[in-house]
Amino acid sequence: MAGEAMGKEEAHVRKLFSKYYSENKIAMPSAHMREFGFGGWDKKIEFRHIAVPGEAELMAKLALEAPLYVSYSVAYYQFPSARPMVRKGWRGADLVFDLDAPEHSCGKFTCQECLDKVKQDAIKLIEDFLLPDFGFSKSELSANFSGGRGYHVHVKSQAVEQLDRSARREIADYIAGTGLDFDRLFWEDGKKLFGPKPSDGGYGGKFAREYLRRLDDEEFAQQISRKLSKPEEKARLKSAIQQGNWDNIGIANRKRKLREKFEEMRLTLAGRIDANVTADITKLIRMPNSLHGGSGLCAKSIPSLKLDGFEPMRDAQAFRQGSLKIKAAESIPEVPGIVPEKMPAGKIAEVPQAQAAYLLCKKAAVLAD
Amino acid sequence: MEDLLFCSRYPFTRKAKECAERIGIGLSSSVIEKAEKRLREAAVEGRIRKVAEIPEAMREELAVYATCRMIISSASSRYLIGRYAVAEAKRAREYLDSDELSKPENIDAVAEDLGLAFEKAEDGFLLPFWLYLPFTPRSLDYKLSNRQLAAGKVLVKRSERRRIIEEAVRIRIESSLPIKADFPKEIQEAGKRILGILPKLEASALRLDERDYPPCIRKLLEDLAMNANVPHIGRVALAIYLVNAGLSDDKIVDFFRHAPDFSEKITRYQVEHVRAKKYRMASCSTMDSWGLCVADCRCGNPLNYKESVHGKRLKAEGKKVE
Ligand SMILES: [Zn+2]
Repeated sequence: MAGEAMGKEEAHVRKLFSKYYSENKIAMPSAHMREFGFGGWDKKIEFRHIAVPGEAELMAKLALEAPLYVSYSVAYYQFPSARPMVRKGWRGADLVFDLDAPEHSCGKFTCQECLDKVKQDAIKLIEDFLLPDFGFSKSELSANFSGGRGYHVHVKSQAVEQLDRSARREIADYIAGTGLDFDRLFWEDGKKLFGPKPSDGGYGGKFAREYLRRLDDEEFAQQISRKLSKPEEKARLKSAIQQGNWDNIGIANRKRKLREKFEEMRLTLAGRIDANVTADITKLIRMPNSLHGGSGLCAKSIPSLKLDGFEPMRDAQAFRQGSLKIKAAESIPEVPGIVPEKMPAGKIAEVPQAQAAYLLCKKAAVLAD
Repeated sequence: MEDLLFCSRYPFTRKAKECAERIGIGLSSSVIEKAEKRLREAAVEGRIRKVAEIPEAMREELAVYATCRMIISSASSRYLIGRYAVAEAKRAREYLDSDELSKPENIDAVAEDLGLAFEKAEDGFLLPFWLYLPFTPRSLDYKLSNRQLAAGKVLVKRSERRRIIEEAVRIRIESSLPIKADFPKEIQEAGKRILGILPKLEASALRLDERDYPPCIRKLLEDLAMNANVPHIGRVALAIYLVNAGLSDDKIVDFFRHAPDFSEKITRYQVEHVRAKKYRMASCSTMDSWGLCVADCRCGNPLNYKESVHGKRLKAEGKKVE
């Protein structure tokens, strides 16, 4: 921070960051229409309302100032540096989604399980919602590791650029299933129960398709009705559901069962995406491929949305050369991909640069000299 | 003739605008008088009466519509423009409802004019979600979570299509006003006359269904609804009152939506905060010390206020309730 002497850990990290920004060219489309925010050792956004004439000037600035965090506005502005906000001249905004690892005991050193879980959420967001339901094309989407413990998905599409807060919140609510009234999907007519067809859009269709798929599982089928152990009964029910007729075999407590099954299926991303981020049309969000001062990792964009094989601790490392002698300031667990073995507090070791940067940024280690 | 009928029913369409330009609009005193009447109906009753659909009257309707736009622009009150747009949209809706049976092609034409790309589907219409969202009310019925969404399109029923068009009409009219121009003297004078009905309207602008809101709370709600800036302490008091009165966060946030500096995020956070902290409502004397008390209703605490008890007392004692 201004006025305070920079610690030697921070100085070392800034030197690494500066080198990274001078050696790597990072794409930042429409840079001149974005507001930028830079962060320091203690604060993720220390300065904002920063404007740049273009990508080249931005890169020069990053190499020179080596900010520890770089964010940019999802919005496009006529005057990105103007204040207050209304003077900026909002021209539209990308649609963004922020997925974070769930709260878990692993805390500071996010465990593999948590990282995998949030990755699966990101895949689900793209594969189950953005592509099929919202009809975006793959070329309109991009995904990147946040640099911390989650993922960001950006949608650049003229169709949604102009949507206001409340429309964006509706989109987030849909994905999280907020306000979803399950009972509306079904209606009774005498003894009959009608509901969604697998060909339907929205949650009705999702539920019908998943239900049909799971009926093949004996345990699932038995929980619905014992009659389903007879293959002909099961076939009859399945073909009826194709037509939106959900009960032609006399199922006891059918509505309660359906609701339970719906909840079991976890078709929504409830609690997994941050609706406030999606709704915020002036949000500053981490710049893809910039460095994250809390981990020393790169907020790497993932080519062709291929999240499956992406392992952030291994694939988002930015410093692949050299090593550094550090001293553990606390007890450090093994972190697959970047910290190969535990380090008890006080231990001094020479470790690869990426691991050193990771631990210095986490403030879990200091320089050992 | 067919064209004229369409244009007089839907004067906000581009087609109607061209039609009006072709005919040419004169500013006769009769047209101005009728325009003023239309504006008054819109502002006071919230609706606009239909006229007989004979050629001269329909031609005049086009002139009247264009004149309405000039007068209301000259008056230049956001509040009046809002009410006017609602009434015009409602008028259009009545024609849409009747055209659905007799001339469904008119509905297609209005939708197309508004840029609403409905696509005919087996059991309704498909509309891209980015067109659906701006024109649908925030209700459970229209909530995207409860809709059939696939390949970027939302399935809507026939009647919902008309509801969506109505809202698109309202937004088109509201966002196209006021027109900036130097208006002739007659128009400016009509504008002033229309502004004259404003104070009366504003006084009754917020006829709340919840009759048991005490005067101080009613005043705060009215100020918010009238886009007046309410001081921070007033907002906090209001939020505490509404939370304690049992309203949902969504409903409370909606009350604040018209504030000039409204931020959904901040408001929601504040309301949630009030709820989480279980703040108690300030007493009448505290409200008074904040400059928020507007009537001597002697209820001790705004939460104790009952229209049937304290309202009568105010009336009996001839105290003015703002
Ligand atoms: Zn964990």
